Amino acid sequence: MSTHAAPAPTVISAAPAPAGSNASKALGVGIAGIVATALGLALPGNASAVAVGWLVAIVFWTAIAIGMLMLIMIHHLSDAGWSVVVRRQFEHGISAFKWLLLLFVPLLLATWLGKGDVVWPWGNLNHVLHGTETVGEDAAYWHKSPILNIGSFSALSVFLYGFLILVSARLRKASFTQDVDGDVKWSHQSHATSASCIALTALALTGIAFFWIMSLEYHWGSTIYGMWFFSDCIRGALSVGLLVQLWLFARGDFKGILSSRHLHCIGIFIHAFTAFWAYVAVCQYILIWSSNLTEETFWYNIRELNHDGATNQWWYVGMALILLNFLVPFLLLLSYKTKITIYKIAPVALAILATTLLDLTYNISPVLKGAHGDAQPFLSLNLLWILTSVVGVGGVCVWSYFRSFASTKLIPIRDPRIAECLANHE
Amino acid sequence: MAEQPYGLIATFDTASGVYHAAEAVRDAGYKNWDCITPYPVHGLDKAMGLKRSIIPVFSLFGGIAGVVAGVGLIAFTAGFDYKLILAGRPFFSPIPAIPVIVELGIALSAFSAVAGMIVLCRFPMLYHPVLKSDRIISALDDKYLVVIEARDPMYSPTETKALLEKMGGQDVKEMEA
Repeated sequence: MSTHAAPAPTVISAAPAPAGSNASKALGVGIAGIVATALGLALPGNASAVAVGWLVAIVFWTAIAIGMLMLIMIHHLSDAGWSVVVRRQFEHGISAFKWLLLLFVPLLLATWLGKGDVVWPWGNLNHVLHGTETVGEDAAYWHKSPILNIGSFSALSVFLYGFLILVSARLRKASFTQDVDGDVKWSHQSHATSASCIALTALALTGIAFFWIMSLEYHWGSTIYGMWFFSDCIRGALSVGLLVQLWLFARGDFKGILSSRHLHCIGIFIHAFTAFWAYVAVCQYILIWSSNLTEETFWYNIRELNHDGATNQWWYVGMALILLNFLVPFLLLLSYKTKITIYKIAPVALAILATTLLDLTYNISPVLKGAHGDAQPFLSLNLLWILTSVVGVGGVCVWSYFRSFASTKLIPIRDPRIAECLANHE
Repeated sequence: MAEQPYGLIATFDTASGVYHAAEAVRDAGYKNWDCITPYPVHGLDKAMGLKRSIIPVFSLFGGIAGVVAGVGLIAFTAGFDYKLILAGRPFFSPIPAIPVIVELGIALSAFSAVAGMIVLCRFPMLYHPVLKSDRIISALDDKYLVVIEARDPMYSPTETKALLEKMGGQDVKEMEA
C-alpha cells in the first residue's frame, strides 16, 4: 500500500460489486447458528445455559453496533475529515439494531412465559439465592423492584432499542440522501442529531449495561459499569470497521481510497481505547478491592474462587483478560509499524474482537451457578452455546450489513469532507 | 573568502519545485541539508528521505522508567521503609500501586518526549547562519529554500551548485558560516 493516498478517482463506481451472494451466505450461516443454538434447548435443564449464551451474543453484537453509532456521532461532532470513508461502513453496521431487537425478543418471551428466572434471577420471586433465601424474601430486591421487574424491564429494553433504531435511521437517511442530492444541509442535520443524541446514547448504553448485565447479580453495583461497557462497544466497533476496510481493500474496492494514514488513525483510536478499557476495569477493581465490602467483593470472588476456596477457571479467564485484552495489544499497538502494516494490524483487531467477547462472557456467564452457588466453569458446554449464538446473531447482523451495503454508494461521494479524507496525509 | 562557507542556498518559487528539487538532492545522496518553507508541505519529508522521528523511543524508555519508579516507590515505602497495617491488607500489593505506576509512567514518558525533542532539535539554538541571509524573510512568506551544508561529504561548490540550478533553483549562492 502506498503511503500517499492516490488522487481521488473522478468516477467512483456507483454500485459496489454485488453483495447479494455475500448477504445470503451470511444469513445462511446465521440461521445455522440459530438452529445449532436451538438444538441446545433439547438437552434437559439446559434452557438457562442456552439463554445466557444467547444474551452474551446479543450483547456482543449490540455493543459493536452501539460503538459504531457512537463513532458516527463523534465523527459528526468533531467534524472530522479522515473518518468519512469508514463512517459509511459504520452506517451500514447500525442497520442491525432492528434485527437485534427481534433477536432479543425470545429472551423476553422466555422470561414472560417461563418461571421468569431463565436469565435474570430477579424475574422469579421463588428463585433461591445462594441456597438460603429467595428473591421474594430479600429486602435488597424490594428496594430495586420498581425497575427490576419483568414488565418494566421489557418496556425499557424495547424503548432503548427503539431509541437506537430511530437515531440510526435518521443518521443513515441523512448520509444516504446526501449521496444523491449533495446538499450540505444533511451534514448540518447530522451535526444537530449527534449533538442532541450523543449523551442520550451514552445513557442508553449505560442502561443496557446496568439492566441486562449488572442486574444478573442485582446485589452488586458499580457506577463505572456503563463506561466499561462503552469501552467494549468502541473497541469492538473500531476493530470491525478496520477489518471491513481491509476486506474492501483486499477485494479491490478500496484501492486508491484507503491510505496508511487511515489505518494509522484507526489504530491510534484502538490503542487509546485499549488503555481506556484497562483504566476503567482497574478503577472498578481497585475501588472494590480497597473498600473490601462483602456486598461488592462477592462479584469478584465468584470469578476467582469456589466455595471451598479453590481457584476456579474464571480466575484464569480474568488473568487472560489482563494480558490479552490489555497488555499484549497495548504493547503491540505502541508501534507505528503495527498500526499501518496490514498483516500485523489485522490479527490484532481480530484478537481484540475475541477478547471483547471473552470480557462480556466473564461479566455475564458466571450468573449460571452450579453446586454450592459456585459459578459453572468456563470450559463447559455453556461455552458452546455462546459460540453458536455469536455465529447466529452475527450472521444476521452481517446479513443486515450486506443488505445496506448493496443499497448505497461505496463511500459518501458528496460529503463536504470527502476530498479531505481521500487526500489524507501524514 | 578564506573561511569555509556554511553552504549553498537556492530559492524556488513553487512547492512542487522545491519538492522535486528535494527528491533530486535526496537521490544524489546528500545528508546535511534542509528545506525551508513557509508552511508544512505535505509529503516533503518523504521527498527529502527523512525517516520517522525517534521521539517515540525516548517516550518508551521514559514510560518504562516511570513504571519501574512507581513499583519501586510503593514497594520501598509500603513494603519496607514504613510498613503500616491497613485493614489486614498485605504491606505491598500491586493493586494500590497501579495509580502511582500509571501516573509516573505517563509523566515520565511525556517529559522524556519533550526532552527528546529539545535534544534532537538542539534547542536552544541562538544562532543559525541561514538567518543572516536576506532570503529567510521571503521564505517565511511565499518562497521555498533549499540549503545544502558545506560539511556534507558530497558537497562541492561547483557540482552542488549545478545540481540546484538544474532543478530550477534561482540565485544559488554560497553563505557565510
